[in-house]
Amino acid sequence: MLAALFSSIVFSQETCLACHGPDGNSVTAGIPSIAGQPKLFLETQLVLIREELRPAPQMLPLVKGMKDAEITRLAEHFSRLPAKSVATGPADPGLMKQGAARARALRCGVCHTADFGGQNQIPRLAGQREEYLVSEMLAYRDGQRKGGDTIMAAALYGVSDADIRALAHMLSRSPP
Amino acid sequence: MTKSAIGFAVAAAFAVFPFAVQSQGQPAWKQGMPEKMKDSKLAPHAGKMTETPASEIPVSKLKAPRGFKVELWASGLPGGRAMALSEDGKKVYVGTRGIGRVYEVTDAGDKRTVRTVVDKLTQPAGVAYKDGALYVFAIDKVLKYDGIAGNPSAQPQDLTEKFDLPKEQHHNWKYVAFGPDGKLYVPFGAPCNVCEPSKEYAQIRRYNADGSGKEVIATGVRNSVGFDWHPGTKQMWFTDHGRDWMGDNAPQDELNRLAKPGANFGFPYCHANGIADQDFKKPKEQACKGVTLPVRLMGPHAAAMGVKFYTGKMFPKEYQNTMFIARKGSWNRSKPSGFDVVNVRAGADGKEAKMTPFLTGFNESKDSYKFWGRPAYVAQMPDGALLVSDEQVGAIYRISYQAPTGQAKAKKK
Repeated sequence: MLAALFSSIVFSQETCLACHGPDGNSVTAGIPSIAGQPKLFLETQLVLIREELRPAPQMLPLVKGMKDAEITRLAEHFSRLPAKSVATGPADPGLMKQGAARARALRCGVCHTADFGGQNQIPRLAGQREEYLVSEMLAYRDGQRKGGDTIMAAALYGVSDADIRALAHMLSRSPP
Repeated sequence: MTKSAIGFAVAAAFAVFPFAVQSQGQPAWKQGMPEKMKDSKLAPHAGKMTETPASEIPVSKLKAPRGFKVELWASGLPGGRAMALSEDGKKVYVGTRGIGRVYEVTDAGDKRTVRTVVDKLTQPAGVAYKDGALYVFAIDKVLKYDGIAGNPSAQPQDLTEKFDLPKEQHHNWKYVAFGPDGKLYVPFGAPCNVCEPSKEYAQIRRYNADGSGKEVIATGVRNSVGFDWHPGTKQMWFTDHGRDWMGDNAPQDELNRLAKPGANFGFPYCHANGIADQDFKKPKEQACKGVTLPVRLMGPHAAAMGVKFYTGKMFPKEYQNTMFIARKGSWNRSKPSGFDVVNVRAGADGKEAKMTPFLTGFNESKDSYKFWGRPAYVAQMPDGALLVSDEQVGAIYRISYQAPTGQAKAKKK
């Protein structure tokens, strides 16, 4: 029984790595890094996807019917993997400055913590993939990211595309 | 990011919404949060979206007055909060927020079973039961299940169009209940921490059960998610959450009495027992003019939620017609406030309201956030026992009373 459980976990972990990167740090555009994310954040997102509250067509078949205990174990596992920055290309000083200024003004660090490492149900942004951050922030702002918290949409309300790009640039190049 | 059933539940307070934002040329998020608090680390607590096994719920840590017994009555309901009982009390319907489900708990005497009636809804926090029908209120949907207590496969009737629900989601998850007048009472919170919302928000309405006859019965209500009616006067009493980012100790949550439909409770200009808002100002003498002040303050940021007037025969007489109020507990405060169920007794006119702790032990430190549970709602069973839901661990406790033996003997003599 334990062995069966163990093998199913291993299977699930490997399944995850196929898209989320060999060590949970994604090397694929549009796919987020999950290594070193807060356990509760991972757990919550997996439940939201399983419950079909957060639409994720590629993820759904993998988590559908998954038991809470297995979700918790997966979340625990990936939360313990070391997070690495996957940013390619040099930081643009102008964008870094603009991004940092916007993050201060928008109070991102209150929830995501000062180093953007995340906490509890709130994700790590530091070192996350740049284009993924852009697409998710745009989706939040425009009410397109379903299953999310009303707070996050409100936090980005009225923020310009250019500012979102600068935020994503700065965050993706912040040390995770 | 999250919508953790509960944490996100809590999220409640801090977003600030669209309104007034553009005119100020700054993001809504800044609204209501002063510059001096920009480095605050206070953030809503995380909820839990997964099942907590009964063995991991430390019910023995809960303390109630002498003679009261607290037991774990049901578990395995992640995010479970408001409860609606069938006529015989054998079915308890339980709403949730982030996890999108409504549960049905069946009481088989010595044990309980739990099933999910409906899922994939946007925060179906509101549940009410009347004349054999279950009413479910999500933020953007109203469903009615006729005969569900006897027929698990009852299909819902979609009443959404009838209820004219506004589009903003923040603070628009519901507590709903039928009043003694047979009408369905539904709150519409302010979609912000603090703002001057448009006219569909910051109010409580009542409707006929089919959604007709809409009437706004209270205004200036920031975010009420709990109410009940006084057994004698039939007046509605409701809790209301105070705004955030005005400091640790103000403004406190409120317990209000609606003496007459149409009363204004002050938001966003006047909070608690007459505190003028720091962001939405009126001339000093104007902020609280015409505002009905609370019967009692319920603690700063305490998240006073479910209200239940006790009318059962099981508890000692002194509890008759007093209120049990669940305080889910603070986040926008450096030290915890709430995390308990209190007993409030007051005159029928709301005067001399006194509050005493009733069920404590959810938070294990006076000075820091070491909570394992968060009490959200209180319901009364046909035998007079109380049910208390815990949104954090997805469980329901039953509180019963038996006179301590010495006392019982004395009584017999």
